[in-house]
Amino acid sequence: MQSQAVVTAPPGATVPTDVVIETRNLSKIYRDFWGRQKVRALKALDLEIRRGEIFGLLGPNGSGKTTTIKLLLGLLFPTSGQALVFGKDASEVTKNERIGYLPEETYLYRFLNAEETLDFYGRLFDMPAAMRRQRAARLIEDVGLGWAKRRQLKEYSKGMARRIGLAQALINDPELIVLDEPTTGLDPIGCREMKDLILNLRAQGKTVLMCSHLLADVQDVCDRIAILHQGDLKELGRVDSLLKVRGETAIRASGLSEAAQQEIRDVIARHQGQLLSMDNPTTTLEELFLTIVRDSEARPGRRSASLSDGRS
Amino acid sequence: MDIEKQFPPFKEWLLGGEAGELGALWAWLLGACALLVAAMVASWVFGTFMHGPGKAGDKIFKVLTGTLVDLLHTSPRRVFALARLAVKESIRKQAVVGLAVFVVVLLRLAWFVDPGRTDPTRVYLDELLWWTSLLVLALSLLLSAISLPADIQNKTIFTIVTKPVRSSEIVLGRILGFVATGTFLLAVMGLMSFWFVTRMLDHTHDLTHDDLSTTAAKEGAESDKLVRGGFTEMARGHMHEVDLDDEGNGVTKKAQSHVHRVTAVKKDGRVTYEIGPPEGEWVARVPIYGKLTFRDRGGNPTEVGTNVGNEWLYRSYIEGASKAAAIWTFSDLRREDFPDGNLILELNIRVFRTYKGRIDHGVAGRMRLVNPKDPAVYHDLGIFFAKEYTLDRHEIPLQFDHEGNKWDLFRDLAPDGELNIELRCLEGSQYFGMAKPDMYFLKREGLPWVNYAKGHFSIWLRMVLVTTFGVMFSTFLSGPVAALANLATLIGGFFVEMMMRLGTGEEIGGGAIESFIRMVQHDPMQSKLESSIATSVGLFLDKVTGGIFIVVSRLLPDFEAFGTSHFVRDGYDIPANLLAIHMVMVLGFVLPVVLIACVLFKVREVAK
Repeated sequence: MQSQAVVTAPPGATVPTDVVIETRNLSKIYRDFWGRQKVRALKALDLEIRRGEIFGLLGPNGSGKTTTIKLLLGLLFPTSGQALVFGKDASEVTKNERIGYLPEETYLYRFLNAEETLDFYGRLFDMPAAMRRQRAARLIEDVGLGWAKRRQLKEYSKGMARRIGLAQALINDPELIVLDEPTTGLDPIGCREMKDLILNLRAQGKTVLMCSHLLADVQDVCDRIAILHQGDLKELGRVDSLLKVRGETAIRASGLSEAAQQEIRDVIARHQGQLLSMDNPTTTLEELFLTIVRDSEARPGRRSASLSDGRS
Repeated sequence: MDIEKQFPPFKEWLLGGEAGELGALWAWLLGACALLVAAMVASWVFGTFMHGPGKAGDKIFKVLTGTLVDLLHTSPRRVFALARLAVKESIRKQAVVGLAVFVVVLLRLAWFVDPGRTDPTRVYLDELLWWTSLLVLALSLLLSAISLPADIQNKTIFTIVTKPVRSSEIVLGRILGFVATGTFLLAVMGLMSFWFVTRMLDHTHDLTHDDLSTTAAKEGAESDKLVRGGFTEMARGHMHEVDLDDEGNGVTKKAQSHVHRVTAVKKDGRVTYEIGPPEGEWVARVPIYGKLTFRDRGGNPTEVGTNVGNEWLYRSYIEGASKAAAIWTFSDLRREDFPDGNLILELNIRVFRTYKGRIDHGVAGRMRLVNPKDPAVYHDLGIFFAKEYTLDRHEIPLQFDHEGNKWDLFRDLAPDGELNIELRCLEGSQYFGMAKPDMYFLKREGLPWVNYAKGHFSIWLRMVLVTTFGVMFSTFLSGPVAALANLATLIGGFFVEMMMRLGTGEEIGGGAIESFIRMVQHDPMQSKLESSIATSVGLFLDKVTGGIFIVVSRLLPDFEAFGTSHFVRDGYDIPANLLAIHMVMVLGFVLPVVLIACVLFKVREVAK
């Protein structure tokens, strides 16, 4: 993948409010052959993802995040509730024209080469031949596989397979990109490029829904996140807001002597120091995540206290 | 050639006959409607159990309308893309291995089949068509059944169904892809086997002066010139007797079902004989069949003849030295169909001897051409001797002498193109056996390679059915289970008629339990079983399973009926009428099976 310039949304820019993904009371119960309940994978999930944002789904294994993605893509059918994508039911095929999906692992046909793969998926979008050729050539270059485009995918390394997987997800120039563990299998440079690319997609006005175990990645790119645990929504909100530590204030200053640090505000003013920021300190996403999981396990079925703070 | 299952003309078969039989189209529509209603009721009952009656009805409605929308919005480009993928997948799965196996079959035939046997053409064609059919069907069965489950298992299907791809496109793409693969294999096998057969059959013989001796013309010959006779040299395990005219030209006698033309070539004062390629070895006769009725020993009209005790009721028999007769009624005969001025009548009569008689001598019979409008007007063709298991050929001139008068067949005996041929057995206590296809007029000789292609088309039709059923099963079953279900459908399809007979109680000896009781008690098949509780329970269970057999036999395609290899093998043209009926029958199964496959895939969660 070639490095791309990170384009971030301008500070203070208003995020468009039209909803791309909406779930209403979305529940999923897995049953056995005889119809008996096996697992309650998702419990009454209410969620809205708006156009132009990068939304992260977090949760430990078995928390319901992959189930949520599969329900949104129509790979699973809800037991109850509704999943809407672009205002259409998730089982509606036509919604897929505006979606790109990168699965958790590269589930592609290993006997095709990169060109054939993109040509095949282009055909599935009913694209004319010229457009398929043009997009395939550009995407192969964008993901840095020009040198290996004639090789069968079975000869690809995991990182190369992720790249061609990403290319197939973008073949239709989608408005919504669903990324399941996008940085899995990528080396640090590949991870950085992937994150840059995700930010670049947002800059182009696209909506990104991703789930990942790599919390640092999520923290780096997501505007908002939802944390699921055992099928329950435990936390939902903007990343910067969620990571703020309430009840504490952190002051960051420069050019101050040791003495000046004793009386913060007055001393800063008295000594003509420059106040750079005064805010609540933030924790790491990893710390937040572990706190929520521990809290959820200690008090099952109860929603995280921070959700009621109105931070979303 | 035995043709057990005979079909009426296409239009009559499709829309129904004048006698009020239900046409295949109406029967199909009724069956499809009944199946749809039964499926909807069953789905609703199941859905009610799961979700309640209202939601179940709503879901059924959504699935049906969704499937209809899917079918209406099917994109040819997407279907083609998926079909191409299926072809590539087939190649990756080494489907071409089938061709390697076929080469082994060819080598076995070339090395181990004695070309000197009576009818090598029949052996080659029989084996090759059987192996072609087996290999193509086996590959189609496996490929179609395991592909989609494999995609679901390794999750490659995720990248398909998250694109704007409809269930109909996935189903049709798979079917078309695997049909394309099967078609390619079938075409290659067909070309290879055609080349093989023509090459194996092609031969000539040497004929020199030393092989010939000059004799007087035979009695009854048109010319009194001397003829040269003798035998050709041995080639491919046989030789031909030759009678050449005084120019040194002629046609050999038949051996191994063929003849050769002999041409004398004079060069530098010397005469050599050139023997042409074999003729009549591989043929495709186009027959005109008549309708067969009988007269019993008292001379009364009847639909069937005497049963001589054969379990196989295909042929009926007429008793010798009685008024019993078999009467073939030919319709729509036209003078222009016989431009040579002769009607060629071919017959293959079976003989049932109640005493041995002269076993090396055929049983005598008599044939008579009769005007069906006025049975008193007839012309005797004379006495013939029935040759069992060989085709007896008679040439009937259109103009002939009848008791001193010049008769024209179409003027005096068949003015409306309708002609009866009455056949009797002349020897007391001996019987002639016959079925409708045992006598026919030869309309013309068709092209063998065209007939061969038609035979492969019949295999193709079977392959389409197997592929469609395989893909349908693969939409809701795992790969191995889908393959087994497809195999069961194929095997069951070869026993549809038997299942129907078991269901309707026509099978002699009864169902499985009745047969078992008869075996244990040593009861003959026709006798009535002794009444007991065990027997009653057994017969009841047979009736229950018989009902299931009837339903199953209505749902399965009759794979046996699609077979036409015996036409090719026995040298008869496969009628276009038959192929048209087979095509429509296949379509009649493919359409609902595709629809069922679309519905099943649509309601399936591809993820777990």
